[in-house]
Amino acid sequence: MVDFRISDEQKLIIDNVRRLIREEIRPLEEDLDPDAFSLPPSEKDRLVSMVKEMGLYQMDVPTEYGGPGIDIVTRTLVAEELSQHRAGLYAPAYGVFGHGPPGQLYNATDEQKEKYLWPVIRGEKSAFFGLSEPSGGSDPARAIKTRGIKDGDDWVINGGKLWNSGADTADFGIVYVRTDPSKGREGISAFLIDTETPGFRVERLVQVLRAHYTTELSFTDMRIPSQNLLGKEGGGFALANEYLSMQRIPYSATGLGVAILAHEMAMDWAKQRETFGQPLANRQAIQWMLVDNEIDIRTGRWACLQAADLAHRGEPFRFESSMAKLVATEGAGRVVDRSMQIFGGLGMSKDLPLERWYRELRIRRIGEGPSEVQRIVMARDLLNIRSGS
Amino acid sequence: MRIRKPWTPWDNSIDYKTLPGAMGVFEIADSKQKTIYIGKASGKSPFGLRGELFLCFGDKSDFDGQNWIHPRMGQPLPVIREHAAYFRYEVNHMYYSRWIEILTRFNEDHGRLPTGNLEDSEVIPKLGRYHWKTKESGTEN
Repeated sequence: MVDFRISDEQKLIIDNVRRLIREEIRPLEEDLDPDAFSLPPSEKDRLVSMVKEMGLYQMDVPTEYGGPGIDIVTRTLVAEELSQHRAGLYAPAYGVFGHGPPGQLYNATDEQKEKYLWPVIRGEKSAFFGLSEPSGGSDPARAIKTRGIKDGDDWVINGGKLWNSGADTADFGIVYVRTDPSKGREGISAFLIDTETPGFRVERLVQVLRAHYTTELSFTDMRIPSQNLLGKEGGGFALANEYLSMQRIPYSATGLGVAILAHEMAMDWAKQRETFGQPLANRQAIQWMLVDNEIDIRTGRWACLQAADLAHRGEPFRFESSMAKLVATEGAGRVVDRSMQIFGGLGMSKDLPLERWYRELRIRRIGEGPSEVQRIVMARDLLNIRSGS
Repeated sequence: MRIRKPWTPWDNSIDYKTLPGAMGVFEIADSKQKTIYIGKASGKSPFGLRGELFLCFGDKSDFDGQNWIHPRMGQPLPVIREHAAYFRYEVNHMYYSRWIEILTRFNEDHGRLPTGNLEDSEVIPKLGRYHWKTKESGTEN
């Protein structure tokens, strides 16, 4: 039997995060563009200082690297709080809790850590993640066409990537490259690539449904020194997979956060809005929508916490992580959709954040592995089928 | 990429109904068709692109009696008041990220933002890099 009661320490952390979101972030959003994804620098600096005082800055960084050492269960609970504002789905708390380094960097050499990991932890550098290509993203073992060829002490890389959020503002990226075409996933290696490297280009900013764009990149005869190989040659795919499963859990809980806020807004509205002489809340059609919202939220939360609990205890959690991603993101989309229906015309307007969440949650069913791929992952576990079979 | 439509000279007799009340992005140019401002009609813009464009050129006409006047009508940025001559726009629901895209492209090509955006008090998010320039680089078009 899993015990999901939260500890006093977890409650303290959650209360601090909740207060900051409600008392600092939400009031600031009143003056921001409805699609804004960043705060004015002075406000961001002020809030980062507050977060540092709370001891929650860079909460994804392990204690041995100076972070607060928050476990995955607490991190999942916090993710649910962090996103409860207009920009919360893709810019939780506008980044004032810090942007932790990509997990793969903890596998870096000491020299690589000095150049890439530590500057990210100190907030001096930012990174992007380069896995998907125009040829596909859900099956990177086969889809990666970007090619790396050894030439003396360097690797010469040609190809391109797609859907790389933040690559235009990043200082470097972790880029997955096919270094041995005769092998499948064992032929993929990860490289640390500085964005100032000759041959690196942001071809375009790709406009999508959400408020923040993404990018398309090209690499032309880009020479990367061998010391920028991250992990072992041919070990890139395993490195990517390990962290993607873990990241999927708080990612899913972030979607639940906006669902919770949408649901709260819909309940308040249903109680105050009258039609034909009665509040909406008295109508069975509305009551059922609200109950279905509650069921979707609780189901998603349970799935996220179960996955987090298994991960925390060091037990296999791949199935549960995929289930959390699928259940939470699809459920959150339904919650926001129903909430918009309850609000009527107002729910469609830019006066409320619902329309932004509606657009952005649609992407969540694709990002970090589409629902269909999550089902494939779960089916493999259920049927004990080796991936790639 | 920048807005691809041709520049249109502002005509004070323009029928406001021909300009969209929708969200989107726009560029303002001087008499030599050099870009002096890259703007957006956001989800908070009263009257959408129509209102924002009339705000830029509004001091050149008499708007007394109009019932859809932008609250800041008659207060364009100084560079716009003095030099605005042409405009082009794009209706776009994703106006915010598109606005950043156009600003980023201009900034990469010219090494700075348009004069009007430098004068404007609106905070622009951190702009990224393309690491390459277009043929417009240095022309300020």
